[in-house]
Amino acid sequence: MNLEDLKRTSGEWLRGTGPESDIVMCSRIRLARNLADFPFINRAGRNEKAEIESQVRSALNDPRLELSYLDVNAMGPIDRQFLVERQLISRELASAEGPRGVAVGPRENVAIMVNEEDHLRIQLMNSGLSLRDVWEQINALDDQLESSLDYAFSPLLGYLTACPTNVGTGIRVGVMLHLPALVETKQIDKVFRALHKINLAVRGLYGEGTQAFGDFYQISNQRTLGTSELELIRNLSDVVPQIIQYERTARQALVNERRQVLHDKVSRAYGILKTAHTISSEETMLLLSSVRLGINLGLIDDLEIPTVNELFIHTQPAHLQKIQGAELEVDERNVARASYLRGRLSNGRHLTS
Amino acid sequence: MICERCPREASIHVKETVDGRQREFHLCAECARESGLMPLVTPPTFGLESVLQNLILSKVGELVGELSQRICPVCGLKYMEYRGEGRLGCPHDYHAFEAGLVPLLRRAHGATRHVGKRPRRTTAPDSLTRLRLRARLRVAVAREDYEEAARIRDELRPREADR
Repeated sequence: MNLEDLKRTSGEWLRGTGPESDIVMCSRIRLARNLADFPFINRAGRNEKAEIESQVRSALNDPRLELSYLDVNAMGPIDRQFLVERQLISRELASAEGPRGVAVGPRENVAIMVNEEDHLRIQLMNSGLSLRDVWEQINALDDQLESSLDYAFSPLLGYLTACPTNVGTGIRVGVMLHLPALVETKQIDKVFRALHKINLAVRGLYGEGTQAFGDFYQISNQRTLGTSELELIRNLSDVVPQIIQYERTARQALVNERRQVLHDKVSRAYGILKTAHTISSEETMLLLSSVRLGINLGLIDDLEIPTVNELFIHTQPAHLQKIQGAELEVDERNVARASYLRGRLSNGRHLTS
Repeated sequence: MICERCPREASIHVKETVDGRQREFHLCAECARESGLMPLVTPPTFGLESVLQNLILSKVGELVGELSQRICPVCGLKYMEYRGEGRLGCPHDYHAFEAGLVPLLRRAHGATRHVGKRPRRTTAPDSLTRLRLRARLRVAVAREDYEEAARIRDELRPREADR
């Protein structure tokens, strides 16, 4: 698999299946791991990074893992941005220097970053709410890598990481939630405050410090030391259904109290996406979010969730440029984005039925 | 703002400069008292404020002074560099900077001991030696001492050959 293959497909985590997938876009776990006999990345020189990459690559080479290694160091900025938009690498890995890369599984549910903040960042994502499944898969993957790599581990402090905020389990357990009704009814801040109190972090779609767009939020654990992986998963699994319930209640309230206004907003959003001739990325996210809500409430019946999920990713700048096969300025991208949206949405069943 | 040593609200805020780097200190009254930074009885505030500030500054200076001198013997990272960048230099730093890291871990995680998954096999006993060798190699290469670098590479090779 290479980047050209990726632009024709989309990740399995976008397929919109699995429990509660109308609200839970995906469940994701990442593990931070380091090799015992190398310095952490910020003290590693170019040669050491190359050695780390080579040792890790030989461990990832096992054919049973079905991983393809993408050399991020050899890529241009658009390709790196493409992988960020795809959720396969972080912005940090994209903008870092020196030997580094990512190993990607066949359905994009596995992504192992090499030489990011830690030597390895192992990530596994599934569609819908399925943290236990994700844990079982990533735990097995970690076991397999550990059989050929010597991890930095202390019996007292657990897996040793470059930043002490990740030490211990090195785990981040997260879910990506679509919460348009809580945003619309202005209850979202209340939910966030409650989550902060129980040591859960809230982030935008693209991780730390990014603004939430398209009403997507990632909820994840902050603490990694002193609580086991299963306990952290249980904590999140206990809380997420409550947030889902809040969102459902807010959606019901919107339907009961403001049905006309809501229906109007959803239809206008869909109309603009289907007919616009130039559109920014921000507006697209905003409108797609309304359309996604509309589908889930039965207000739109000729479009499917996986298509909308995919459009959130495929209408972003680097994706558009990869799909068009050319570098585009902002204005050109806005035109290309509108054209792409018209093409994708005119194939809806509303034309054929 | 939360105290740097316990979950209580910090009420003592001190700024100081160590090695040209400015650093802020935030402690609750109790922890400040425990470290001898505050008298046990709250003094009358008239005119004594500056005296008290000086007292705090001199004591905190001592406390940070000791930690700020620490350098990891393996990777050469200074404790104050870590405080500036927020990233450690090698696994051994957790040992070298333990005195500074333990309060931080307690604050960030509410715990100082790992619970959960453990690798099936223990870390190879020569890992620390190899980390040290790599640090020496970095220095040798930086000094353009290629003979020394070649010697170190030979020492490092055996385990890589096992893989």
